[in-house]
Amino acid sequence: MVNRSVAVDLPLQGMRVIDLTWYTSGPFCTRVLADYGADVIKIERVGVGDPARSMPPFQDDEPGLERSGLFMFLNTNKRSVTLNLKDMEGRDILLDLIRGADALVENFSPRVLPGLDMDYQSLKAINPRLVVTSISNFGRDGPYRDWNGSDLVLYGMGGPMLNTGSPDREPLKTAGHTPSFQVGAMAATATAIALWGSGANGRGEHVDVSYLETFMGLVDRRTTNLVNYEYAGDISTRPPLANSSGTGIWPTKDGGYFYTTVVAARWAAMARMIGQDGLASDPEWNDPVWRSAPDRIDEFGVLVISWMIERTKTEIRAAVEEAGVYGAPINTIADVLRDEHLLERRFFQELNHPTTGPLTFPGYNFRITTTIDGEAALPPRLRAPLLGEHTDEILHDDLGLAADNIEALRVKGVV
Amino acid sequence: MERQATPASPVTSGGLPLDGVRIVDFTVVWAGPFAAQILAEWGAEVIRVESTKYFQPSTRGTMAHPPKALIDSGALRGYPDREPGDRPWNRWAGFNVHSRNKLSMTVDLNTEDGQEVLERLIRTSDGLIENNAVASMDRVGVTWERLSKINPELVMVRMPAFGLTGPYRNYRTFGNHMEALVGHYSLFGYAGASPADSGLNIMADPAGGAAGAMAFMAGMLQRRRTGKGVQIEVATAEGFANYLGDYVLDYGMNGRLHEYRGNHDSAFAPQGVYPCAGDDRWVSITIGSTDQWRALCGAMNRADLGGDARYQEADGRRRFHDELDAEISAWTSGVDATEVMNSLQGLGVPAGVVMNEADAYGDPHLNARGYWEELEHPETGTHRYPGVVWKAEETPNRLRRAAPRLGEDNEYVYRDLLMYTDDEYRRLEGLGHIGMDYDPSIP
Repeated sequence: MVNRSVAVDLPLQGMRVIDLTWYTSGPFCTRVLADYGADVIKIERVGVGDPARSMPPFQDDEPGLERSGLFMFLNTNKRSVTLNLKDMEGRDILLDLIRGADALVENFSPRVLPGLDMDYQSLKAINPRLVVTSISNFGRDGPYRDWNGSDLVLYGMGGPMLNTGSPDREPLKTAGHTPSFQVGAMAATATAIALWGSGANGRGEHVDVSYLETFMGLVDRRTTNLVNYEYAGDISTRPPLANSSGTGIWPTKDGGYFYTTVVAARWAAMARMIGQDGLASDPEWNDPVWRSAPDRIDEFGVLVISWMIERTKTEIRAAVEEAGVYGAPINTIADVLRDEHLLERRFFQELNHPTTGPLTFPGYNFRITTTIDGEAALPPRLRAPLLGEHTDEILHDDLGLAADNIEALRVKGVV
Repeated sequence: MERQATPASPVTSGGLPLDGVRIVDFTVVWAGPFAAQILAEWGAEVIRVESTKYFQPSTRGTMAHPPKALIDSGALRGYPDREPGDRPWNRWAGFNVHSRNKLSMTVDLNTEDGQEVLERLIRTSDGLIENNAVASMDRVGVTWERLSKINPELVMVRMPAFGLTGPYRNYRTFGNHMEALVGHYSLFGYAGASPADSGLNIMADPAGGAAGAMAFMAGMLQRRRTGKGVQIEVATAEGFANYLGDYVLDYGMNGRLHEYRGNHDSAFAPQGVYPCAGDDRWVSITIGSTDQWRALCGAMNRADLGGDARYQEADGRRRFHDELDAEISAWTSGVDATEVMNSLQGLGVPAGVVMNEADAYGDPHLNARGYWEELEHPETGTHRYPGVVWKAEETPNRLRRAAPRLGEDNEYVYRDLLMYTDDEYRRLEGLGHIGMDYDPSIP
């Protein structure tokens, strides 16, 4: 078992997850399950492992199977076993592991598992209480089932991408792998709900999570705009960010930017905050229709900039809080790593890895608290496993294979 | 906890995994309601606790009584036929999409009677979920110290933007500000442009929703084993910081802060969003291999590009990315977006229409999967809504009820669940706890 010095019982303790995932969305899913106590056994291809091991960023920008920051981020708290699934012996080992598991997560294209004779019905036959979570681009059926995708293509189809970016330019994707990670997070939630069900009735489940439908269901503007189309026939656009007086991103004294939004009821408070008491009490300016005209937005914007450019992000942050305006600094990752709030909450974790030495990682998605001002009850994470690091341990401890049997499998390229 | 015999809920959930799990829901705006939406979708009885005396902006609309002029000008959207109606709060798209399958009750927690209602609710429930400023919840007595004494098996999910502790605990924020604070706005944008040009993005809210629902399930699974309740804190901003983990690692490994690069990618080239025939019509294309590059060039009828030695590897294509973008745009801009998608996907090239609402509702794949679902609502009529977020082979699942009108389930909650008598019910109604209308003085 993974050796953790735990202060409290972890929620998913005692649950075993067979992890056939690769790249980004599936590993994010099993990362969440592992963080909250599941024993996640990551099955990797012999010799090369999860392709994410070959994806950037790399330590010192030098590629290598044990040098990928993406892989290290996604695979903490998991154990790695290498296995050749196309070999009968490799397949039998996997089936033995599945017999004792609570869940299996995979994000192959929908034809792969059936091609290995490991479709849901076959797995159910050997473990009737197994929860199988399948993540795919477009789902397990339908005309696009076998289409190809990427974060950009799928987020653009399903998500609110048409609404992000400048009105006079092309739609703009969110950063990096964020769309895939959202799919992974949703798949973890789906898996947990199915585990709750199988724990109660002893029956397994096959969960079908698709990128397309996850994005189509995003509460970030997409679902509202979809229903607004049903209600009123409106096709949405990319509105300018500064679509009301006081909403926008402004330069500040210390080089960065600050992002504010004013809800209607708080507009006068913002006017007073920037020293415009006259406007704050002006009946015309207090009319939300009047001040939402593009000229007024610009006029007010000039006043906001003149005030912002004289102040630091920290000073502005304090002022918006006092005024009841919604706002935050536009931080870089370097800013985030020295943010006083995150530091005081000890959000970041330092993990040691043989290739990199100690490195800073983001902390947990959510924390279990026993008291309102209590410390996080979750233990520090374990670093991502080296390729096949736990093969011997699991084959021996869990499947009872002797050392010379394991060696023979290794020679044959099965593990 | 001792339970009364379970009365029939207005929302049926038989056969769903969370059937029999009751959740008290104090969520507002987007992140919290999305978490509760997911739990309600899979059978939890989610009771929204609302008040006729306070209107939370961006939950049941921007305003309780929106001026007609703001709707006519297009500043406020979301009402059927652009008509707010007598009760605009029951007709707003933003609320009606995430609150399907939920119940609504009203109570004023700032009174002794209201606090008695809260205590009875907590006694009969499994969980509580909320995403308010910490101070607001403290003020109405929603704290773990108090509620865990009333119900030691309570699973309590708190989703304040920045957590229950620390200097920002009471900061007011929307998802876009959380993203700015944890770094996202420094990472997506047009090359060389200001962050203001990136426009609006609010992924922190759906991220918080997924994390909030996961946190609740984690709490329930722990309770099943230990028999004890638990409080879980989902600091939505920290949850979203996790989506930027590879950037945090890159900074640690290489000291790198990324610059904006539009829709280009570090591994795939070319990748971009290209204009198509018509107004605001776009297609995304990602070239992940040399085969896909040649297929794209074939579709464009540009064997010259497909055979060009400079473009055989991703590195070379990246070096000339802007030139290739221009070539691709020259081809796509005369063609229908759906035609580009279908023809490229037919060749195995990842391509997709940047779908607007009409594309989405008409999409053959979503329709074949039965994604859209009709719901009938007493004040908005019958409409198609985005369906259940994921499918489960052993448990076919459909939307079961339209979003509740404000206070729609007061009778069920007060009388059947909380066992208030007729006299008490009428008294609470007279005091303004129970009702279906916001106070007319609320803008």
